[in-house]
Amino acid sequence: MYPNELARQHRAKIRLAIAFPVVGATILVVLAFVQDFPRPVWLWALFAVAFAFFEWNTVEVNDKLYASPSVMVIMTAAVVFGPESAVLGCASMAALALLTPDDIRGRQWFQPAVNFGQLVISAAAASSLLVLVLGPEGSDANVGRIALASALAAVAYGFLNYQLVLFIVRQVYGHLDLHKWSHLAQLIVPYIGMGFLGGLLGAAYLLVGPATLPLIGIVFFTGYMAFESYAGLREAQLSTLAGFIKALEAKDLYTRGHTERVAYFSNMIGEAMGYNGTQLEKLRWAALIHDVGKLAVPRELIRKKARLTDEEWEKMQAHSHLVEDLLSDVEFLRPMVDIAANHHIFYDGSGYDGLPDDEEHAPTTEASILSIADAFDAMTSTRSYRVALTQEYAFAELRRCAGTQFDPEVVEVFITALEASGERYGSPIELSEEEARRRAEHGIGHSHAATESPHMNPHRSTGTAHG
Amino acid sequence: MAEARLRAITLAAWVSLAVCAAFFTVAGLTTAGIDQRSWLLDAALWTFVITGVSLITVPAPSGTRLSLGIGAVVSASILMDEVTAFGAAVSAALAISWILKTNISAFRHRTDSDFLGDSLAAAAYAATYVFAHDVIVEADIVDATWSVVISVGIGGVAWFVVRALVSAFVGVERTDLAGRYLWLLSLEDWAVVISMLAAGTLFGLTWPVMGPWALAVSVLPYAFGHLAFERYHSTRITYGQTIRALAQIPEVAGLAPRGHSTRTSDLSVAIAQELGLHPNDVVELEYAALMHDVGRITLNEPAILKAGYTDEDIARWGAQIIAEAPYLENVSTLVEAQHRPYRSPGIESDPDVPMASKIIKVCSAYDQGQVELGLSPIESLERIHQGSAYEFDPAVAASLRRVLVYRGEIPY
Repeated sequence: MYPNELARQHRAKIRLAIAFPVVGATILVVLAFVQDFPRPVWLWALFAVAFAFFEWNTVEVNDKLYASPSVMVIMTAAVVFGPESAVLGCASMAALALLTPDDIRGRQWFQPAVNFGQLVISAAAASSLLVLVLGPEGSDANVGRIALASALAAVAYGFLNYQLVLFIVRQVYGHLDLHKWSHLAQLIVPYIGMGFLGGLLGAAYLLVGPATLPLIGIVFFTGYMAFESYAGLREAQLSTLAGFIKALEAKDLYTRGHTERVAYFSNMIGEAMGYNGTQLEKLRWAALIHDVGKLAVPRELIRKKARLTDEEWEKMQAHSHLVEDLLSDVEFLRPMVDIAANHHIFYDGSGYDGLPDDEEHAPTTEASILSIADAFDAMTSTRSYRVALTQEYAFAELRRCAGTQFDPEVVEVFITALEASGERYGSPIELSEEEARRRAEHGIGHSHAATESPHMNPHRSTGTAHG
Repeated sequence: MAEARLRAITLAAWVSLAVCAAFFTVAGLTTAGIDQRSWLLDAALWTFVITGVSLITVPAPSGTRLSLGIGAVVSASILMDEVTAFGAAVSAALAISWILKTNISAFRHRTDSDFLGDSLAAAAYAATYVFAHDVIVEADIVDATWSVVISVGIGGVAWFVVRALVSAFVGVERTDLAGRYLWLLSLEDWAVVISMLAAGTLFGLTWPVMGPWALAVSVLPYAFGHLAFERYHSTRITYGQTIRALAQIPEVAGLAPRGHSTRTSDLSVAIAQELGLHPNDVVELEYAALMHDVGRITLNEPAILKAGYTDEDIARWGAQIIAEAPYLENVSTLVEAQHRPYRSPGIESDPDVPMASKIIKVCSAYDQGQVELGLSPIESLERIHQGSAYEFDPAVAASLRRVLVYRGEIPY
């Protein structure tokens, strides 16, 4: 990143951090004159707490796809407060969620300032729309109409939020990474559902009384807890496998960090190709297990510098296959094991040993991605038989074998993505392949092992996304 | 013997349900001033609804699937004015679902004890609710809706306690599991249960004022949690499978006997359950026992094999590997402690060795005796007893003996 680009981003952030709070505060002041503050105040406080809770604790429904029932709280509150105080009540309670515990811990100033404006604008707009649609009847309208109006208002809330996020990203970063933000559009259906339900719950409160509050609270809280445990367990599963493989690998100097880097490169290619969260996750898992078979192979076979005898070769293959079978027992890993098992197949359909194979054995795009990531890391890190090669050499090799061993399209995507990232791998000193092998034999240059592995971060935050 | 007694209890429970249904029907229809037609219609409708809802089950954290029937019973208790019609509908629905059990696939995985527990618990709920509601309305402290909510809460506690007691009682009768373990296991399900109770209450309260919309108000929020419970359940299964697969890598590599980790884990879990450990500890023990030999993967390295190693090294290497996985710190501690003697001269019992580690040590040695030394079960157990001065905890050894006797592997 260039220094002047950073300075420009900083100026943009300051501009936004002033403009958003000013707009938000103006809206609140105007509302304070035209609307009543909701009564009773404890009810307003309760809704504010529930809203902040859901706003801070989004549930990861799927990989990188976050959902928050907070919009439902807004709609319930808007119905309960009634037309005279809905807009002021909702805007003021939403504003209280501006500071998340993470922001306080990290001493963030930009995020909370922008959040304040964003929350006030969205909540005020959504509740005004609800009041407008319900008309003079207000919350006395029939239940169906309340629910539909509230669904409509929730969609408006989601849409406005989405547009504001896009606006902020465009202002700060100047460009739009559409792949990253496109999933917000998928949230439109949940917004309809949550708005609908929020309206119904508001109507239920008005018709039955405050006794509904603990009941609704219990159902949502237990559901939320169950989703939390589910998300935690999923996370535990991924990190258990990753940590385990890393620890097993660490016993071998030459493959240390290999799996982690291959997973990182595969993820980079997948993102550049516009894969969605589920596809990326599948790719990461496949990368994590792509070499697990080797762990069961005696080290002297892997490190052997001379050609393996047929017997040794068979032994090595048998060990790998045993581990593949083992992992196939885990139901959800089966598709990933397939990808991992196919990553040695050439793009033109020929197999690991170079024998021409059937057309139908051409690898899937996922297997191609994995094989390119694997080959690139193998070339740019030091192995027992040669020291690391340069990044340029590895790129040239990938391009040379594109069309036969590798999928040419994926090769170009990878090279473009890696160059754009500015990261560098491999030896800084240019070496021919022969020279690299000679040096390894003489034990020179082992210090030029692959550059430090980037941290694999499976759940990068979606930035300013609210939703 | 135990099975015969259980069958008798089960039959008696079913007969009393049928008798209750008949009694309430006669009592209701002969009450003075009652509209018999609407009484019958009401009772039949709710019998149908409760039976239907009972067909849906949700995987609870304890591992069993809970029937959603209690949610419908709660709604019925709020919405049905005639106590006799309510009693008749609940007893009839339970009796019918018991008959359906053998014929409907949704019920197949549910055991007799599940039905016995559900029936007795539902009866406890119904009786407690009716009683508590009368008392609270009589006392006239809170308004009508709050008195319903409070009564459901009291009835729900009765339901929960009775169900946990029944499952502990039946479990002790027919298996070698400790009652304490089963009781604690049932308590794990509280979140699912109160979620069902709250959803049922919401429906009961909103139906009279909102009509069909009440269905959305109660079912939609519950469905959110239901989905999560389902996903949690399936992820827990695959998590276990993943650990099982990883634990077998040293075995596949020929560095440990095939099947040793699985057998050690199965036996360890049985002993832990027999001794009445907390269910959460049993899960950790299961993982630790599966991975107790994972340090052997290090033997892949020719240099290490040449230098020689001890059991302590294997335990330490294994613990180091496991510690790389966040969330498994406790498992790593258990694996590290598994090689240690349970006591040393002058110390009655080493407080630093967790119970789970002692169990793994005994089970691993028992399996080794059979597989590596070729001993018979009784000889291998004898070897454990001989080593119980310092190496093997006699309490665990005694439990191992009981488990083996129960499984019929050694004579009584």
